[in-house]
Amino acid sequence: MLPALLPYKLLPYGFRRKYKPQRFIPKQKELKSSYDVVIIGGGGHALACAYYLARDHGITDVCILEKGYLAGGNTARNTAIIRSNYLTPEGVRFYEQSLKLYRDLSQDFDFNILYSERGHFTLAHTDAAVRTSRWRAEVNKQLGVDSELIYPDEIHRLCPHLNMSDHVRYPILGALYHPPGSIARHDAVAWGYARGATALGAEVHQQTPVTGIIIENGTVKGVETPRGRVYANKVMQAVAGSTSVVAKMAGFRLPIRTIPLQACVSVPLKPFLDQIIVSGSLHVYVSQSSRGELVMGGSTDPYGLYSTRSTLDFKEGLLGHMLELLPMLGEVKILRQWAGMADMTPDFSPVMGLTPVKNYYIDSGWGTWGFKATPVCGMTMAHTIANDSPHELIKPFYLDRFVEYAQVGEKGAASVGH
Amino acid sequence: MKVMNCPLNGPRNISEFAWGGEVKTMPDPSSLDDRAWGDWLFLENNEAGVVHEWWCHVPTSFWFIAERNTVTDEILKTYPAGELFKDRVNFAPKAEKK
Amino acid sequence: MAGMNRLPAPFGIWIDRTQRISFTFEGRQIEGFAGDNIASALLANGQTMISRSFKYHRPRSVLTMAGQDSNTLVQVGDEPNCLADKRRIEPGLKVEAQNYVGSFDDDKGRFTELVERFLPVGFYYKSFHEQKKSWRAWEPIIRAMAGLGKADLKADFHHSYYDKQYLFADVAVIGGGPAGMAAALSAADSGAEVILVDEGAEPGGSLNYARFNVDGTHGSLTCKELSVAIRTKRNIRVLSEAVCTGLFADNWLPVIQGNRLYKLRAKSVVVATGSIEQPAVFRNNDLPGIMFASAAQRLVRLYAVKPGNRAVILAANDDGYGAALEMLDAGIAVTAIVDLRVDVPMTEMAQAMRRAGVEIIAGHAIREAIAGPGKIRITGAIAAPIAGDGKLTDSGRSLECDLILMAVGYSPAAQLLHHAGTKFAYDTGSHMYRPDSLPAHVFAAGSVNQAYALDAALADGRRAGWLAARDAGHSGAAEPPAPTDLGSGGVTHPWPIFPHEKGMDFVDFDEDLKYKDLINGIADGFDNVELLKRYSTVGMGPSQGKHSAVAAVRIVARETGESLHRMSVTTQRPPYTPEKFGHMAGRVFEPERRTAMHHRHLELGAQMMPAGLWWRPAYYGPKSERDRAIREEVSAVRNNVGLIDVSTLGGLDVRGPDAAEFLNRMYTFAYAKQQIGRCRYVLMTDNAGVVTDDGVAVRFHDEHFYVTATTSGVDAVYRQMLWWNAQWRLDVDVANVTAAYAGVNIAGPKSREVLKRVCEGVDLSGQAFPYMGAAMAEVAGIPARIMRVGFVGELGYEVHVPASQGEALWDALMAAGGLESMRPFGVEAQRVLRLEKGHIIVSQDTDGLTSVWEADMAWAVAKTKPFFVGGRSAEIQAKKPLTRKLVGFTLANASDPCPEECHLVLKGEEIVGRVTSAVHSPSLNKVVGLAYVHPSDVEPGKQFDIKVDGGKRIKGLVTKYPFYDPDNKRQEM
Repeated sequence: MLPALLPYKLLPYGFRRKYKPQRFIPKQKELKSSYDVVIIGGGGHALACAYYLARDHGITDVCILEKGYLAGGNTARNTAIIRSNYLTPEGVRFYEQSLKLYRDLSQDFDFNILYSERGHFTLAHTDAAVRTSRWRAEVNKQLGVDSELIYPDEIHRLCPHLNMSDHVRYPILGALYHPPGSIARHDAVAWGYARGATALGAEVHQQTPVTGIIIENGTVKGVETPRGRVYANKVMQAVAGSTSVVAKMAGFRLPIRTIPLQACVSVPLKPFLDQIIVSGSLHVYVSQSSRGELVMGGSTDPYGLYSTRSTLDFKEGLLGHMLELLPMLGEVKILRQWAGMADMTPDFSPVMGLTPVKNYYIDSGWGTWGFKATPVCGMTMAHTIANDSPHELIKPFYLDRFVEYAQVGEKGAASVGH
Repeated sequence: MKVMNCPLNGPRNISEFAWGGEVKTMPDPSSLDDRAWGDWLFLENNEAGVVHEWWCHVPTSFWFIAERNTVTDEILKTYPAGELFKDRVNFAPKAEKK
Repeated sequence: MAGMNRLPAPFGIWIDRTQRISFTFEGRQIEGFAGDNIASALLANGQTMISRSFKYHRPRSVLTMAGQDSNTLVQVGDEPNCLADKRRIEPGLKVEAQNYVGSFDDDKGRFTELVERFLPVGFYYKSFHEQKKSWRAWEPIIRAMAGLGKADLKADFHHSYYDKQYLFADVAVIGGGPAGMAAALSAADSGAEVILVDEGAEPGGSLNYARFNVDGTHGSLTCKELSVAIRTKRNIRVLSEAVCTGLFADNWLPVIQGNRLYKLRAKSVVVATGSIEQPAVFRNNDLPGIMFASAAQRLVRLYAVKPGNRAVILAANDDGYGAALEMLDAGIAVTAIVDLRVDVPMTEMAQAMRRAGVEIIAGHAIREAIAGPGKIRITGAIAAPIAGDGKLTDSGRSLECDLILMAVGYSPAAQLLHHAGTKFAYDTGSHMYRPDSLPAHVFAAGSVNQAYALDAALADGRRAGWLAARDAGHSGAAEPPAPTDLGSGGVTHPWPIFPHEKGMDFVDFDEDLKYKDLINGIADGFDNVELLKRYSTVGMGPSQGKHSAVAAVRIVARETGESLHRMSVTTQRPPYTPEKFGHMAGRVFEPERRTAMHHRHLELGAQMMPAGLWWRPAYYGPKSERDRAIREEVSAVRNNVGLIDVSTLGGLDVRGPDAAEFLNRMYTFAYAKQQIGRCRYVLMTDNAGVVTDDGVAVRFHDEHFYVTATTSGVDAVYRQMLWWNAQWRLDVDVANVTAAYAGVNIAGPKSREVLKRVCEGVDLSGQAFPYMGAAMAEVAGIPARIMRVGFVGELGYEVHVPASQGEALWDALMAAGGLESMRPFGVEAQRVLRLEKGHIIVSQDTDGLTSVWEADMAWAVAKTKPFFVGGRSAEIQAKKPLTRKLVGFTLANASDPCPEECHLVLKGEEIVGRVTSAVHSPSLNKVVGLAYVHPSDVEPGKQFDIKVDGGKRIKGLVTKYPFYDPDNKRQEM
């Protein structure tokens, strides 16, 4: 079978004398004084939005302004888990669309994002967690998402390395099993969108922070940057971790608190853990990457901070619980830890769509699961910008849902929602 | 691990404390329309910089106020809530409203 | 000699030749000495190849001999990726090589090198997705190639013992080289309590092995002097063979020594971690026999191991010459010194080399190393004149050698400073990034701080130690002067990179990245060092860029024309060196709470279940008889009498003139007019109007309420109460007395008879002590708070006593109930009983957004109060149409199965709600439950769809609750 599936795209590299580069990020151009659309932030969501604006709506005069380097914020820091087993119907529909887009992305991009279906297990260690798992499974199934509440025997059969002992503080009582749960190479997703968007005409400007937002009569007119003023008909912000700071420049506040989320990886091991394991009660999640590293994390930090500093206590808590689940990993080593800044909302659902400022759009409040929404977020925000009207899938995530007491309650499902 | 100086218990590891979010004094709920109430309740300043926040020393359940820089992770000052909230808060009886 | 490559004493200061130790490598018996590490013992025995590289499976061997590279990663028993050049040998140690296919010596994986041309930088992104199924087929193959060591999956769920300890110091000095030792002494002289953390078996750092003068005596003499001085200081504690892996906020330092993690809190820290030698890039620069000059010196001096027989030194600084002298002393021939510098300064060392007759080939570099068979050793090197930065002329000369020592420059071992947020600046004089501005309470000394000359390092250490002590509140004598000449010029070459047209010129050994991989990555548009790292994986391997980050920055700078001043090395994140999961986890203390009657429950055969941190009896009896036990317990309460431990229930004493006003504000009901000696339901909402807790308030005095809260909610309730009153300043005192009281609920038609027998000082008759009455009295001689409340819907009393008397109370009641055959009952029976009675459980029958209106709790909301928490939101919610409402239900068709909790309620295909509780009621012999349904379906008699297991839909029938005893006659008997 393999010869038929020959990776023939590698052949030219071997046979050509000279490496033929294919630029993912074009050389930076002069910043123009005006664009049709300016996107603040150069992460996965922003790049995806630019891509779909060009591909689906023919809007190509788009400028992406990134204060640091491309996709260097939460796109670079997340742990690359993709799933759609949410608790609310609104969440499930939205993420299921994302999964659908993800599955075709490598072919869309002609660039392998290493999308890998691994199966996602959310372990339940208490009666309450079993109940929530059943709730999620039932909602998922009703909406056509492959998801099932399973019990210890089945868990053991599917994940033979998990410690199913009764003699631990929090024995495993059940799990929400979501076979389509996947991982992908997170950076590659952003690079693929960058190449696609710029090929269609969008510009990426790195090291270009937005320092002000120009608003006249309640309508956005452009943005200020150290490289000059940039006018735009429409402006979107997609700046996880700096959401409130940028929104403040546009003159409005959000129901968001910015809280660090930490993660770490082990030194590479030969693959042994095929699944994505999450335990809400123990505040841990783990999967093994295509590099062989165990990618691990937990819940958000205990207090708000605009910093990506790491802490020791994060590792102590995380690995204490990790060894309860996988005791054979005691001699395995942590290679690197890092942090990102998560924008947490009261209901753990995003804030997307229109804002109090005309022609100014927001993509925010991603908490700990922005990566898995990247394609659908780009698609729906592009639609929203092009039509000045929210896409059907993101209507429930409108900003005013809080003051209107119409929250989309994902919180119950999400003490650790990766 | 940060050290936080509890006004009651002195310097302790920050793992002994619980974060209570920014200090935003509650307006008289009856004086606000629904929208203004919702704004007060849900919207956050989420300041990148110096903030005034509630913190609780968990083992002693002591609430106090901290001035903290959310960019540098520096705790600038801590003091008992009584320094800010000096007087008894009263709510007007319902009958008097409207 | 425990190895054919051993040198005689005085070489080998860290080994004890009187103790031989045997271990195995790849099944072969290896003998070393006590003090040897795995790598030194292997090299002593001629085993040069220690590992296979990540991608091409090339033979690799010692590079740093300091635990800083991944060339020496081996599998030791159940420990993968163990640093062979750090781990001491022990008798019987089982060491295996990693990452090979077939056998270590005949590794089939090495053939990937043959197709290297087809695997350009990021090759996995560029292919395998041609067809959708391609990736499915290829992914497992590529995945299997990843990773180095193996997790021991047969480890039978046990790992070694690890623990933790706290340490405190005025000054922590990290690194026990000359600067660190001087800093420790200086800080101690100022009166500070000092902890000196050092990775070596003995402090001294480079003093132990490096050459500071021609005859090599200066280092060891200085070391001895400093060591003696340190030993005499009572206020210096030395942690040897210990590594500090991070520098966290407020000087919180993890220090790993053996199987212990120390968490060290220091008022100030001196980082004296030295610097890391940097490799030269040339063809085959990765093969066994090519190592840093410092590594060879460590082998020779510390372990008496000859790293080769004939050396070529690739030098760009004086340290290369020192190493050459050391090799000569060890009887290793030195073919030549190839010096990158055109004008070699005639230092004492260089003159000594001349005198020794070693040729110095100036202005040359090594074009390539010549690999021997199997690439497991080298047989020579080709030196060529440097025509320009990175360019060599075509001419070249062959030099015979089996050892190439690289001494072309350093990079500060500044990881800890990075962790603390130090800014770095490129120093044009030294060609290195040096710390620019240090964080508060952190100091740097020695070569990490650019003090390379020994005198400079010592002076820098003394200065830093003094400053750190002063920072920690210990002022010593006069401030020591800063070193005048750091000696950082001329130790690091700005471009030791000589790409070869045939490749295998490695920039990153961990990831098998060659020069062209980086160049091609930059050409693909990843022209920022962080982007290039992510695309090419440079610096992402086990050594985290210790030897590649600087080269990567130099290459990006050159390719993009960007100034090194405007760039920096990629962010260095903790840990400095890999930490075991076991170290971080330690012994893992999981707190648990037991009630005063815990042992009685166990004696009675209870199955225990967790409730928050507590353990509670689920039911009494063997697991196999669960259902019967629950049924009998329910029956006992309904028809006779039962006893349940309710100690875990939260208890709060609210006292003071404002106690009633305080409850009025905290809970939805009204408490101002509550009579003394009466109980009243309490329901708490948060400011957004979400139901968060419930319980009962008992008024024992005008100014004293005893309020119960849910087991898992009480701590949050208590904290919220204190938070609100920190603002309201009401004259009230709240105490969380949950742990101070043990409690039971004695319930059932015969409960009064039983309680009467042991109760004194109160008339329990229905008239004197009605439903919702309360009193303080004595039960079995124990002062008790008695409340006539009924979660289960029968005549019943809750009795709370001091926790110390809980067991006595239990025993007394069990004895008193003997006549009636009173049964203890557990949480499971209680859940059935309460559901028959239609009582909600907050957090099961409510969720994170449930309002009082949705929960059908309008009856519990006092509408005329000035204020209660959540009241304003409840008002707003009341104006909006409901989207769901909690109702009681039974099944329209009695033969349908009992739905599970969280089965969905559907209207057509739309999800409108869910079943929150459901049980087959033994008392009523039918299914009863609570569910959220569509607002149009809330009237009793309405039917709604429940989707149960297997996708089947059954009909729920909205039914008024309580289901059992709807007129509440039984609890009011």
